[in-house]
Amino acid sequence: MIDLEGLVEPHRVHRSIYVDPDVFAAEMDRVFGGAWVYLAHESQVPEPNDFVTARLGLRAVIVTRDSDGELHALFNRCSHRASTVCQQECGAARNFQCSYHGWTYSNRGDLVNVPFAEGYPDGFDQAGHGLRQVPRLGTYRGLVFATLNPDAPSLADWLGPAAALIDEFVDRSPGGRIELRNRQRMIYKGNWKLAWDNAADGLHPTFAHRSFLVLNERKHGGARSLSQFKANPDDTGMYGDDLGHGHMFVDQRPGLTRSFWETQRPVPGREWYAERVRSEYPDSSAEVLEMAPGSMVNLSIFPNLLIKGNHFEVVDPISVNETRLHTWVAAAAGAPEEVNVMRMRIAEDFPSLGNPDDLELFERCQQGLGIAEIEWVDMSKGLGHPNQQVLDNGVCRGPVTHEGPMRGYIRAWLELMESDPPRTVAGPGPVPCETAG
Amino acid sequence: MAVSVVDETAETRSAAAAAPVPVEAGAVSVVDDALYQRLAEMAAARADEMGPGHPELRPAAEQALYHEARLLDDRRYRAWLDRFTPDCVYWVPLDLSGDPREQVSYLLDDRRRMADRIGLLETGWAHAQNPPSRTVRTVSNVEAWPLDGGETRVRCSVVTWEYRRGRLTPFASRNDYVLAALGDDWAIRVKIVGLVDCDGDVPKFSFVL
Repeated sequence: MIDLEGLVEPHRVHRSIYVDPDVFAAEMDRVFGGAWVYLAHESQVPEPNDFVTARLGLRAVIVTRDSDGELHALFNRCSHRASTVCQQECGAARNFQCSYHGWTYSNRGDLVNVPFAEGYPDGFDQAGHGLRQVPRLGTYRGLVFATLNPDAPSLADWLGPAAALIDEFVDRSPGGRIELRNRQRMIYKGNWKLAWDNAADGLHPTFAHRSFLVLNERKHGGARSLSQFKANPDDTGMYGDDLGHGHMFVDQRPGLTRSFWETQRPVPGREWYAERVRSEYPDSSAEVLEMAPGSMVNLSIFPNLLIKGNHFEVVDPISVNETRLHTWVAAAAGAPEEVNVMRMRIAEDFPSLGNPDDLELFERCQQGLGIAEIEWVDMSKGLGHPNQQVLDNGVCRGPVTHEGPMRGYIRAWLELMESDPPRTVAGPGPVPCETAG
Repeated sequence: MAVSVVDETAETRSAAAAAPVPVEAGAVSVVDDALYQRLAEMAAARADEMGPGHPELRPAAEQALYHEARLLDDRRYRAWLDRFTPDCVYWVPLDLSGDPREQVSYLLDDRRRMADRIGLLETGWAHAQNPPSRTVRTVSNVEAWPLDGGETRVRCSVVTWEYRRGRLTPFASRNDYVLAALGDDWAIRVKIVGLVDCDGDVPKFSFVL
């Protein structure tokens, strides 16, 4: 049992939420079992029999599309002696055979073959020994979510005002769809919530990304990537939203003085591809080029999906002080090829030039949090400030450097931790897939 | 113009800070579809059997790679950059046989972005390199083949050890090079760093591989 009493105060959180292994174990049960958790994107399993592996907290899951095109979230665990049955990260397979004793499952999870079946006791129920499944599965605009919690709200209710912001992100593609391509994958030695804090932190770029700011000013000049954070960011109109249920939003667009394309730092191939766009789309080249840079928003879907730029950054906790970040790049479906080639290079730009500084600072925070006698982490900026406003849809909005969104996700975190929601797994058989919205 | 709110004298600035280097003349990307096509073909042919290397080319290729490794280990990044041709590419892929037009990499730099990467360190504010990494790299299994137009294709195995903030971290890679020249004026046109764990859990890195 862990004692959550007093770990969260209105203006600060206790260090133990970042460093206590017992808190981490409870989070993996209650937060990553009790909330809707992002697993994958449908573009990763476009064809019947495709699969991709994912993690629901620490639980290994296979997201499959069966031969009829239905999605499943199967636990990657043989019903016999618990070995994982799928070793590849993605691919196509009608069946998964356990290498240990040969039990074989369909991509719906049904146990289709038990070798040397003679000898099992009477009443051995082969049909009941299929792969266990996540009991609730849902999709929204191609994003696949799952939860172990039978009492969780509908996916649509869980997403709330975040759904319209997912729409905005996806609808930057002329085809109204995104396609996840491949991912960068990096590990840092720090708690997963340090990445979560950071995603809606409009105070840090001025300082944490100073190398990037100074570089761009020296080399490329003018209003370039992140220059909206050069002076007081709250003077620009940029804002941060607490969307409820732990979801957060940061909008940098009010800070831009030029188009996304003009603001984007020059990346390899910029000139040649832009010229091709201008010659192929003479009447709409500005609109076409505008699809290439990132979205200039951070949309965080609690507890594990950070949508930034053109990325789906999946937060994958390993232990209380180690976290893996999967940074998937989204291509714009239906956009000219040139746009997506440039998206690949843009997707390497800030992630390789700026992200290492974030990860460095997460590691420094984890070090500092190791001092047991200094117990509190401040999260008070903007608390009670007159510039906070509550919108009609319940969203709480404040200037971008305020820490309201962080306090909001901590409230959602605490609610899940305290309520200790029920968690179940489903046996073999159909699990309906909720479609939100 | 807005004024920076950050104190320029703060102690958080690293010792790597250097005077700004002017924007290089003609800083326009040379990357086009033809260059991508060459990289994609190199990646697709990565596992092809090339036959034995040409022993007469190996000593000069080794000298170039050893020199490059020393420049990087000594963090002489400007001198390192000067050894690349104007139309160079420096590529650290995530998928060793993938087409860079369709996939994101750890990085795929032309000369301009290489200069930016170095310029970032020279600001003195790159926290991930404060303190800087100390590295030592071992270059081995060097093989070289002649290409048309006086170029040389080189493959080698590299183990780079990075020491920083109490941690010693190995990076193992099989590297591919196209050298535009050998001898005293050796020059790199293409450098591809194929990390063995490129699709796995790569520790964060902020030095030049």
